[in-house]
Amino acid sequence: MRLERALLVFGKDWREVRRNWEVILPITLVPLIFSVILPAIFFILPGSVGGSTSIGGFEALIRNMPGSVQAELAGMSSLQVMTYILVLYFFAPFFLIIPVMASSVIASDSFAGEKERKTIEGLLATPLTDGELLLGKILVSFVPSMIVTFLSFTAYCASVDFFGYGLFGRLLLPNLSWLMLVLGLAPVVSLAAIGLTVIVSARVRGFREAQQISVLLILPILGLLFAQAAGVLIFGPTMILILTGLFVVVDIVVFRIGLGLFQREEILSQTR
Amino acid sequence: MPAIETVGLVKRFGSLAAVDGLSFEVEAGEIFGLLGPNGSGKTTTIRMLSCLIAPTEGQASVGGHDIRRDPLRVREIVGVLTENPSLYERLTAYENMEFFARAYGVADEAARAARIREVLEFFELWERRGERVGTYSKGMKQKLAIARAIVHSPEVLFLDEPTAGLDPKASKDIRDMMERLSRQEKHTILLCTHNLEDAERLCSHVMIINKGKSIVAGTTDELRRKIAGPPKLEVGLIKVTEQIVRAAEASENVRAVEVNGANTKLMIDVDDPDSSTPYVVKRIVDAGGLVRSVQLVEPSLEEAYLKLVKEAAA
Repeated sequence: MRLERALLVFGKDWREVRRNWEVILPITLVPLIFSVILPAIFFILPGSVGGSTSIGGFEALIRNMPGSVQAELAGMSSLQVMTYILVLYFFAPFFLIIPVMASSVIASDSFAGEKERKTIEGLLATPLTDGELLLGKILVSFVPSMIVTFLSFTAYCASVDFFGYGLFGRLLLPNLSWLMLVLGLAPVVSLAAIGLTVIVSARVRGFREAQQISVLLILPILGLLFAQAAGVLIFGPTMILILTGLFVVVDIVVFRIGLGLFQREEILSQTR
Repeated sequence: MPAIETVGLVKRFGSLAAVDGLSFEVEAGEIFGLLGPNGSGKTTTIRMLSCLIAPTEGQASVGGHDIRRDPLRVREIVGVLTENPSLYERLTAYENMEFFARAYGVADEAARAARIREVLEFFELWERRGERVGTYSKGMKQKLAIARAIVHSPEVLFLDEPTAGLDPKASKDIRDMMERLSRQEKHTILLCTHNLEDAERLCSHVMIINKGKSIVAGTTDELRRKIAGPPKLEVGLIKVTEQIVRAAEASENVRAVEVNGANTKLMIDVDDPDSSTPYVVKRIVDAGGLVRSVQLVEPSLEEAYLKLVKEAAA
């Protein structure tokens, strides 16, 4: 496999993607909401969640916090506790939704979109190998989704620290858990989403069909969000490490299946 | 060594044999026409020969490379125009050409730029190279798709309906291009077409296929003669009378006489037309016929094709 050939596919696809508002709009708008608008609302309108500054709804979450976190909460006011838990824990799963959403939208366009736009046959007729094509298309789904995630994280840190400094008198982010989440867990979750989109794209005929199915990938992450809200699971360093290991295994499995399906004949047989 | 050689090529999709034991050879520099109705197996044949799909049975080589053992090398030396232009509409024409030139291994930047300019100028697209392909007309897209297929100067070119949907001027440009590629640059072209005029004008050999099987193959002249018979004698007259028809029918070697047009033309089916013509014409003149023109009319490939496909369907 020649890397420059894979980068050629990456470059071509990236030019196409950045001229497609159907892709650009969701991958910029959703991160903007999660990283800037929502944190700003929480800080500017304290008590907007639940309508009061009471910590009643967070009791289960607080009870399940590791001792080190509970120690951090000691001495904080109700507003500080609520804000602290919201911005440092409750928001964490959203930063898994961003790479999943971005990579699955781009991968749907890149794999199933080629079929829909009837460009796939010309591409498959070139002397690019299956591996070069697949790597190029994985890169174009992975790199922008990671850039969006890192930029969102930077914006989120800036928002939280900007708005939260007055309330806490110190900078809250970045911390170890968030760095592990964004630099470790988010990339492996993104790769799993790409692998699953490759599998879905091999079976469907168009971009929207692939995208609609890929949206289902967000459901398990919403499950994590609700599990955390119920106090069942906390995004601390240990849990992030376990999830990262788990997703590495998921990545290996889905990519093996995806590689098996990424065959010229298989792809062409699904082309209209 | 033939540029393309297939032996008993078969492609099955489930129980359907899309291509069923196809064998043919195409010499280097030749334009070979693959004719047949929709669903006859033309596109599947091109897909197998360009290594997009694998044959179920049989063997084939392109440019001396086995399509099963060396698909990558085959893809390097062929250019393919499929039924769809396969162009990226959000990219400009130049970006499309650049991508495909690099994908086909035209590594040298200066040589690549010169070749892209050459083919875009040939198709009169150079001035609009910076525009997105999505803004192009159907004819422009088709020209660009052919430009894309030849950007790496392939040894063998597979063209599936290259003049479909084009205006007469664009169709002529593409026919001229195919002739030039074949005669001057010695590229081998496998042309799938419904356009029998194209096949007749360009192809040295043609094969008519139906339901994945070869019905007949040969030069266009051989096919015409074999299927639609020898040339007919066409005699143009001021007016055709019953007496003239009877005189023509009574002539030696004449098998049948038809009156065509507005009673001004006789189509005469005659054995050995070269030697018989003067005597048939003399009989017509003696019967009072005022002759305006005399010519031998070759049966068209279209007649031959339609006859064959009809027979195969029956």
